[in-house]
Formats: sequence, structure tokens, C-alpha cells
Amino acid sequence: MISLWHFLGVGAILFGLGLVGFLTRRNLITMFLSAEMMLQGVVINLLAFGSHHGSLGGQAFGLFIVTVAACEAGLALALFLMLYKRGRSLDSGDWQTVREVGVPPAVDTVPLPAPPPDDHPTLPVPGRLPEQAEVRFQEVTRA
Amino acid sequence: MPVSAEQYTSLRAVLGDHLMLFAPEVIVAGTVCVLLLLRLFKAFDKLHLNPVAAGPLVVALFLLGTQWSAYFDGSAGATAFSGLIRLDPFAAFLRGLLLVFALLALVLGRITGLPDAADSADYATLLLGGTLGMMLMASANHLLMVFLGMEMASLPCYALAGFLKGRRAGSEAALKYVLYGAAASGVALYGISLLTIKFGGGSFEAVAKGYADLARTSSLDAITAAGTLMLLVGFAFKLSAVPFHFWCPDVFEGAAAEVGAFLSVASKAAAVGLTVRFLMTVHGACADVTFVPKTVGVGVMVVAALTATLGNLAALAQTNLKRMLAYSTIAHAGYMLMAVATFTSDGAAAALFYLAGYLPTNLGAFAAVAAVRTATGGETLDHCRGLAKRSPATAVALTVFLLSLLGLPPLVGFAGKFQVFESVYSAGQSFGRLGSTTLEGGFYALLAVGVVNTVVSAGYYLRVLKAAVLDDSPDLTPRPPLQSGEGEKNQNPLPSPLRVGEGAGGWGLTAFLLLLAVAVLVLGLAWNPLLALTSKAVESLPGR
Repeated sequence: MISLWHFLGVGAILFGLGLVGFLTRRNLITMFLSAEMMLQGVVINLLAFGSHHGSLGGQAFGLFIVTVAACEAGLALALFLMLYKRGRSLDSGDWQTVREVGVPPAVDTVPLPAPPPDDHPTLPVPGRLPEQAEVRFQEVTRA
Repeated sequence: MPVSAEQYTSLRAVLGDHLMLFAPEVIVAGTVCVLLLLRLFKAFDKLHLNPVAAGPLVVALFLLGTQWSAYFDGSAGATAFSGLIRLDPFAAFLRGLLLVFALLALVLGRITGLPDAADSADYATLLLGGTLGMMLMASANHLLMVFLGMEMASLPCYALAGFLKGRRAGSEAALKYVLYGAAASGVALYGISLLTIKFGGGSFEAVAKGYADLARTSSLDAITAAGTLMLLVGFAFKLSAVPFHFWCPDVFEGAAAEVGAFLSVASKAAAVGLTVRFLMTVHGACADVTFVPKTVGVGVMVVAALTATLGNLAALAQTNLKRMLAYSTIAHAGYMLMAVATFTSDGAAAALFYLAGYLPTNLGAFAAVAAVRTATGGETLDHCRGLAKRSPATAVALTVFLLSLLGLPPLVGFAGKFQVFESVYSAGQSFGRLGSTTLEGGFYALLAVGVVNTVVSAGYYLRVLKAAVLDDSPDLTPRPPLQSGEGEKNQNPLPSPLRVGEGAGGWGLTAFLLLLAVAVLVLGLAWNPLLALTSKAVESLPGR
């Protein structure tokens, strides 16, 4: 029999995974995903509460949380994109220029795996152009 | 829960009244929408929108003013919108404070040119959106509104912290704030969900009743304890209380001074209001007067003492003015928490008084930093040297603000500190009369910590004053502003909206600073009206 406590257990596990992930990860997007996972644990809690008490309050609360989480994700991802354009890196350890005077920056012993080189898009190998089009193409390039 | 026909009719009947009381928030929300739409028209491209946004704020303040007497003679003000928020004198006081601050922040932004005309719509939108969230925090009466208010207040602040898009430090500030904030709001929300499950509803009345039942049977279970703790972690993050203060110095250093003022004054006012309302509601419902002070109260006392001490000690070592003011903000949060820890209406009134005095003082201090920045392009102690010779009026205003932050009479900072320490002392006495010697000793120790901290804080405030008044001006040729830690990594700064040079700011900024300095002085000389107002405002709070 699945009781309220099972749902709360799942919620607690999700929240705990999110918290641990947030504290241990270094990739900005993974960190933020972990923070969002914490919110999803809360939503499960509230939905379980709502169905347990037979009220819509929990579901309404859950809807609000999903909405606010979307706003937060929109803002954070826009910020991360801006930061990535500046530094070409998503490592949160790169961002420690603002810190206490005289305190050395924290250096991670294990470097992040190097990101794969930028894939510049290459055009697909063109097939043989139809006769008519080829003529027109040559005309255009000559002009 | 389905709504019955009678409930529906009664909700319909009071909706108009509630909307009238809620009108200031509606106006602020409408202004945000209008500001976003104005950008669609070419005619508004060159127009600075800060004054446009200030107009509706004046209207909102006027509306709040017309309801003011109704709030304070008790004929208006109760829960509104089926108990989600509570529009009482306490909320009215804080909402007025926040509106006044938003107005002043818009004026300051227009003078210093932090948002240029092209960016002004974004700046005003974010500022007003944040203010709206903070007003909801100040009047929240339901855990759902607590969460919504905190998020609505936080999200615009994240964007404002990174408002200087071209600056590496600004981006870093926004990054740290957004990550820390996301985790803190997650933790607070988990606490809220636990409390909602435990007490079968999120309204403060239901929660307070649940706590009262627990207090009667003295059975504090793990779920309630964890939920309360996690919710208080969220409050502590907003208050930048130790040990959740780590974001504060970095964000303040990276963000512009004008944004720092908004984060330190408005955000703090809303967070103090929310904390006071929540804790006082719980305290008021418990039959045993010492239950809440003995459990949560001890924690608040310890956090308050740590916050004030760490803020003041760390501020001693700073050379960047904004970073120093950030630590000073943390320290002042500690003083306010001391007043909150008393759980008396005297303490709540003292916290409100402190906030009202803190508004012109700290806004002025940050505006003075902005004045130094516009004149020299930097914000360190070195840039402050010789300020008295370069710009005597700014130096005088800065002196007034720093001495008020330090708490010297006859400035408003002294009046605020006096109220706080007096409330802590009388709380100690009253707990002594109740026979709780531990709490009595705790409050006297808190008082001692507060007094010692005030003495310590003289160290860094006076250091800035000495640099500004006594030292000679070093050779400071205006150059593009660089923030600490920038430099070699940022050879090619993007165009920044900040103006630098002797002409920037000009007489407008000087007049703004002197106006705030006069306000600090007047509030410090004649504090009876404000005192009467704050003690009347807290009468609506449940509690003793």
C-alpha cells in the first residue's frame, strides 16, 4: 500500500539529490539543474499533501512553484549564456575575481575535462546539380 | 476545497474593498507593464524613463497616504484576499517605506546616470518589480505568499546585480547571487512544504495554531523542527545573516552602488518585516510566553550576535568602499535581528524605527560612493582621499551618513540603536521577572555584544572619514572605471553606461546627498513622531 510517507520519501530523495548535486558539481548548468531538482521534490511533497487531504491547495501551490521555477531558469540560463560567451567555459571555478583581499583563489585539484573543440558547421557535400541549375549557377558566379 | 455559495458571495462583497487597499501594488504592477510596452514606440527611445516610472509611484504613495489614517485609527486593515495577505498598519508602514525608497532610487539613478536612456526601461522595470515583491513580502500572511514574495523580490535583484553587462565583476556578482539564491529558495520552499503538510494549511493562523498545540504538549517533532529551520534559512539568506551572508560582499562589490543601496535597504526592510510578522504570529498564538523565545529565540539571538560581530570585524579589513558597506549592511542586519529576538512589540517597533532611519542613511552612503565613482572612476578608499577638498558638500554629507551608521547623536542612527538596545534591555528585565534567568542573562549578553560591536564599527567608519577629510587628494585623473580584480583579464571593456568625470552627477547629486543628510539629521533630532508611528504600527501584530 502506497501511503503519504512514500510520496514524502520520494520528495525528500529528490530534494537531497538536488542539494548534494548543487554542492558538489562545478558545471553551472548542472548546478542549476540540481537546484531545480530540489524544487521538484517540493512539488511532489505538496501534491501528495493535496491528495492526502483531498484539497486543491497543494496543487495550486505546485502550479505556482512550477511557474516561478520557469522564471528563475529563464533568468539563470540567460545569465549563463552571457557568461559562456565571455569565458567560453561553464566552470563555476572560473568566476572568482571578486573575493576577499589577500585570499588566494580556490583551485580545484581535478581539472574539468576539456570541452570538445567548437564544431563549426560544415556544408553537406553537394550532389550533382541538375543541368539547368548548373548553368544558372555558373552565370551567377561569373557575374 | 470547493467554495460554497455563501463564501462566494462574501468574497465578492469584500473584493472591492480589498482591491482599494491593494491599489498601491496594482499601480506598481501596472507601471511595470506600461514601461515594457513603451519600448515598442520609437518616440520613447531617447526618453529617460525613470521620471516616467516615478509618476505612478507618487500616485501610489498618495493613495497609501489617503488610507493612512484609516489604517492607524483601526477602521481598515485586516486579512485580504481570503487570508493570503494582511494589509494592516505594520504592512502599511513597510509598504510606504518601500515606495519612498523606490522613488528615491529612481531619482538617484536618473542623477548618476546608472541606466542611460536606452537602458532606463529595464532598470525601472526591474526596480519596480522587485519593490512589488518586497511589498508582498511585507504583507504576506500565507506561506504561499511568503514564497511568491521572496521570489518576486529576488529575481529582479539577480538581474539588477548584473546590470553593468560589460563588467566582469557585475556578471560575477549576478552569477553568485543567482546560484546562492536558487539554492536558498529551494531550501526555504522545502521547509514551507513540510510546515504545510504538518499543519494542514499554509495560512499564518493555521501554522501558529499548530505551533501552539505543539507548545501545549511540548512535543516538537522532527518534521516541524526541520521545516521551521529551513524556512528560517530562507529568511536568513534574504537578511544576509551569518552563516548565510557569503553572497553579500561579492554581490555588493560587483554590482553598481545604486543597486547595492536597493539590495541593502529595500530587500532588508522586506525581509525584516516578513521575519517579524511570522515569528510574532507564532509567538502570539503560544500560551507559554517563554516557549518561542526559548526555542527559536535563542537561535535568533545567537545568529544576531554572530552577524553583528562578523560583519563589523570583516569590515575593518576592507579597502573597497562598496565591500565595506556590504559588511556594514551585514552588521546592521545583526542589530535588527537583536530587536527581533526580543519577541516583544517594543522590539518590533524598534526594528521598524531602525529600518526607517537606515533608509536615508544607507541610501545616502551608497549615493556618496556613487558620487566618488562618478568623480574619480573608482570606489576604493584611495579614491575617497581628499574628498573634502574636491567636493566639500559631498564630504559633509558622507560624514553625516557614516556617523549615523556608527550611531552618534544627534543623528537617526543613534536613535535607532537606542531603541534596539533599550528593547533588548527591557526584554532581559521582563524575562528576569518571569523567572527565566537563562534568557535574562542571554539578553544582557546580547546587549553587551551590541555595545561592543558599535565601538568596533567606529574603526572602519572613521577610517573612511579620515581619508575623506584629512588626507590629501592623490593624483586621480579620471579614467574608465575598473573594478577590483578586473584589469588584465578585461582589456576591452564593453561600453559602460556609467558616466565618469567632473561634470557627471553635478549639482543634482550634491543636492540629493544634502537632502538625505538633512533627513538623517531631522529624524535624529525629532524622533518622537516616528517613534509614535512605529509603536502604533506594531499594535496590529499578534503578540505581546
